[in-house]
Amino acid sequence: MPARRIIVPATVFATVILLWWMTHQAGWTNAYLLPAPSAVIAALVDLAASGLLLKHTLVSLQRVLLGFGLSVALALPLAVLMSASRPARAVLDPLLEFVRQVPPLALIPLLILWLGIGETQKLGIIVLASFFPVFLGFRGGIAGVDPKLVEVGRVAGLSRREILTRIVLPSALPELVVGLRISLGYSWRALVGAELIASSAGLGYMIIDAENLARTDIVLAGILVIGTIGLFSDLILRLAIGRAFPWLSAHLEAARA
Amino acid sequence: MLELVEASRHYDVAGRAVAALDDVTQPFSDGSITTVVGRSGCGKTTLLRLLAGLTEPSSGSVRRAPSRSIGVVFQEARLMPWLDVGANVAFPLKNRLSDAEIAERVSDSLSLVGLAEAHRAMPAQLSGGMAQRVAIARALAQHPDILLLDEPFSALDAFTRRRLQDVLIDIWQERRPTVVLVTHDVEEAVLLGESVIEMESGRVVGRVPVDIPFPREATDAAVVDYRRSILARLVGGAPFSSIPESRRSP
Ligand SMILES: Nc1ncnc2c1ncn2[C@@H]1O[C@H](COP(=O)(O)OP(=O)(O)OP(=O)(O)O)[C@@H](O)[C@H]1O
Ligand SMILES: [Mg+2]
Repeated sequence: MPARRIIVPATVFATVILLWWMTHQAGWTNAYLLPAPSAVIAALVDLAASGLLLKHTLVSLQRVLLGFGLSVALALPLAVLMSASRPARAVLDPLLEFVRQVPPLALIPLLILWLGIGETQKLGIIVLASFFPVFLGFRGGIAGVDPKLVEVGRVAGLSRREILTRIVLPSALPELVVGLRISLGYSWRALVGAELIASSAGLGYMIIDAENLARTDIVLAGILVIGTIGLFSDLILRLAIGRAFPWLSAHLEAARA
Repeated sequence: MLELVEASRHYDVAGRAVAALDDVTQPFSDGSITTVVGRSGCGKTTLLRLLAGLTEPSSGSVRRAPSRSIGVVFQEARLMPWLDVGANVAFPLKNRLSDAEIAERVSDSLSLVGLAEAHRAMPAQLSGGMAQRVAIARALAQHPDILLLDEPFSALDAFTRRRLQDVLIDIWQERRPTVVLVTHDVEEAVLLGESVIEMESGRVVGRVPVDIPFPREATDAAVVDYRRSILARLVGGAPFSSIPESRRSP
């Protein structure tokens, strides 16, 4: 089974690259709009050799990790608080619901005005984009706890606090995990968006800078790197979760952002 | 003492008040073992939930010394899917006993239900009958003062069921908890109860003392007799054998 999990996607990617290469050989595409695979690989090698690729990647990764981490750090306690407290729900629900309706990209101009074009603004965009999936996932998981399991705790004489930590939170994990995966994907997408608009480093910047220089090969190389890192970060998150909570593996397969 | 006093429980089902339990007064003396039989929907689970304190009576009261510990085997296994079998059995004991004591109780009660090997299995890997036995082990490991069981053996094959019935009687004789066991199987009610409570649409319609020493055998003539007479009453009217000739279908 694991072999097939690698072979099938690898074959799909190889086929796409082969088709790409063939259209190129046949002269169907304009080399400026769609450079040959070899040109993109050459661009990648150049970028890697010059250290630029590593630099931009690290900048982007750092932003994503910080922003995603911040989102999770905000979302988890807030979800617990709002699940436990009716007043907190009454006050915060309408506000959060409003913010949720506004696409993070629409807030970029405002964030630039308020936070400038530095790191804070990037973090702001990532947090706005990635907060809700993990927050809503965790809240949904908490709300969805099986009351029959809670009764097992009640007859065993567990305190409210123990019921929360020993029954409610663990049973919210599957949905939390789905939220985490979606959030990580959103973080990554929002970051590249933010870097495209106002930045002096990062993979998004690398792409937009290359576009200005008419270097389509670098643009494509950047896209390849972004997609690959996205895939791998999701894979790493899944492996980490699968290792920490083996009983979640079924949920991990179902969860897709 | 564990006691229901004029206890009723009403539910609102589609705008209509349904009496799941209707004015039941019933003592369960300390260290006794009582079984409850009746048709599906007659209120057996409701009675048990009142005794466990999981459902409040609509009127009347439940008397139970608050200091007495309760172990419940629910009609469904209700295992925590994120914990392995051992941790599920240990669940009510955690933070209440030392780790060594917990480990001993867990392995003892898993052996009692014949699942010593399944210690590390996850609930999703268990069959229905295995899950039910883990739930039984979880309640036994608590060494509760009051043990409430809701059709605990219903998912088990005849042999395993027989073994666990014996285990239950052994434990009851050894530790003397107050046991209330709900079943829809009249034979099981007779095999396990010092007295058998008969229920019908929310009411207790009979309480039969079963005057046979333990261990009892299903094939004992006395057991068969009790079984037949209880069954006859629950089915409604006289035993089959005494149905007049004229009312028998051709
Ligand atoms: N939470 C509830 N809400 C509404 N009605 C309920 C509820 N619990 C029980 N009832 C009703 O009360 C009656 C008794 O239910 P109960 O579960 O006590 O029956 P039972 O004797 O345990 O049945 P079974 O043998 O099928 O388990 C039924 O008519 C049922 O529909
Ligand atoms: Mg029932």
